[in-house]
Amino acid sequence: MKIMVCLKQVPHQDARLDVRPDGGWIQEDNIKFEINSYDTYALEEALRIKDAGGAEVVVVSIGPERVTQSLRTALGMGADRAVHVKDPEADASDPLGVAKILAAIAKAENPELILMGLMADDGNSAAVPPMLAELLGFASTTSVMKVTRSNGSLQAERELEGGALEVVELTGPSVLSVQTGINQVRYASLKGIMAAKRKPIDTKSVADLGLAGKVGAAAAKIKIEKIYPPPKGKGAEILTGSTDEIVNKLVGKIKELGLL
Amino acid sequence: MASILVIAEVQNGKVRESSYELVSFARRIAKAQGSEVRSLVAGKGASAAAEELAKKGGGEVYLAEHDLLAHYSVDAFGKAVRAAVAAASPGILLFSHTPIGWDLAPRIAAALDGAFVSDCFNVEESGKLVFLRRVFNGKLDARFVPSASPVVATFQPGATSPFEGALDGKVTPLQVAISPQDLRAKFIEVRTAQKQGVDLSKAEIIVSGGRGLGAPEKFPEVIQPLADALGGAMGASRPVVDAGWLPHAYQVGSSGQTVTPKLYIAAGISGAIQHLVGMKNSNFIVAINKDADAPIFEVANLGVVGDLFEIVPALTKAVNQAKGKA
Repeated sequence: MKIMVCLKQVPHQDARLDVRPDGGWIQEDNIKFEINSYDTYALEEALRIKDAGGAEVVVVSIGPERVTQSLRTALGMGADRAVHVKDPEADASDPLGVAKILAAIAKAENPELILMGLMADDGNSAAVPPMLAELLGFASTTSVMKVTRSNGSLQAERELEGGALEVVELTGPSVLSVQTGINQVRYASLKGIMAAKRKPIDTKSVADLGLAGKVGAAAAKIKIEKIYPPPKGKGAEILTGSTDEIVNKLVGKIKELGLL
Repeated sequence: MASILVIAEVQNGKVRESSYELVSFARRIAKAQGSEVRSLVAGKGASAAAEELAKKGGGEVYLAEHDLLAHYSVDAFGKAVRAAVAAASPGILLFSHTPIGWDLAPRIAAALDGAFVSDCFNVEESGKLVFLRRVFNGKLDARFVPSASPVVATFQPGATSPFEGALDGKVTPLQVAISPQDLRAKFIEVRTAQKQGVDLSKAEIIVSGGRGLGAPEKFPEVIQPLADALGGAMGASRPVVDAGWLPHAYQVGSSGQTVTPKLYIAAGISGAIQHLVGMKNSNFIVAINKDADAPIFEVANLGVVGDLFEIVPALTKAVNQAKGKA
């Protein structure tokens, strides 16, 4: 079978987030990027299916040159080949624009299964996987914590509120969005990293996909007017001083609460 | 006249509180736009819920009843939403950001080729529509402005007060054709979360650790001793459980346990929304984190910006000493 895994490169979890002067997004110069945490779990799940019974794993990402690094990482972990949509025309697409790009690639690749993270650590929209399924006419489910395949049927356990799980059976080609914690993600081995250098990364433009003028900032149906640090509420009283002074104040407070 | 369509959710025969919150948002927008609010209740044996929504939320309530709507499935409920869209031609569709909403709403937005925005905490309705939501896991806020119609939006449960008003709405039956073959993602069963011995909901004091601990062995070395000294329980944030450092039973947050202890100490937890919703109603919150901008400090009563590996052991020692003196 063929599995397509969609990866988004996002600012590193510990990166400093400074808002751009125009307020439209964060400053992306001089910060580190990494594969969206949710997507690493999706890739690992695909690689486990490959390890268990054989599958071709194709990773897909959209973004500038720096995205090559994340695709190399994915290939180093065990993916077979990569497709990189590298085109400024794709920049600032809304989730539906992203889904249209991924759908065009999926139509060419014809995978049985598409795996991706529940959401991205930057936009937090959780929108693209169901949109992609809709555009392709695939089955879909979201926030998946377990995938089981047997006799041609695909079962997924999806996370509900409060930790309950819903078991869903999927028929036909499917898009699953994966929740963090579904597995323990592997690291790329040195051997894997060496092998990845010979694996192909196919570069595509928006025009190659027949989507000129249909995606990107101009075609977005919703735009970010501004991002900004959340307004400070009352917030915490911040304790200052030496460690001893801070600890004395904390102990005093715990006593005041009648808990010591 | 353009309408606003609220996609209500029914749980245990009742309309969920979050659906009445959607009615609140919908009525605000409708008032500004001069449009009307309609709702959809889909299910099996959901007529009492639809009547309740008509009475308490007002407006026209479409009731889609079908055997294949007995359990949620994105395909069957998608058909019900499309039937309601055909009947109401809404300019705006509102869903709750729940396991149903985030599963279904993006598919509907793609099918309608509309504008989509998710997990909103508020909307500005005077003048142009602006949807407010958090990005970067709660570290930044964002204003989203749609430029196409229809707009499909999901709202965080608890983002506003549920609508309360004695309005007389009416229930209109809605025919939906669904066949078993339509269900490509089919409900099999729900497994409720198992309580695995760690019941944090009863603990008076909880000391929780997060990603800032850096390694699994730091929990027994740093967090558990403080919990023990205070006679409390140990908890954790989601990244800790995802990494396999502690079992799921320790997880505090929307996908773990919701807690309201007298004292909650969060060490090395930045405060992602999914954690905050599980602990923000604690009586007193102390946060210890090296990042002064961490969202956890917004919900905490007392904060320490510093190294948890210095503060927590010192606090443990001081608590043990105080107990010795008592």
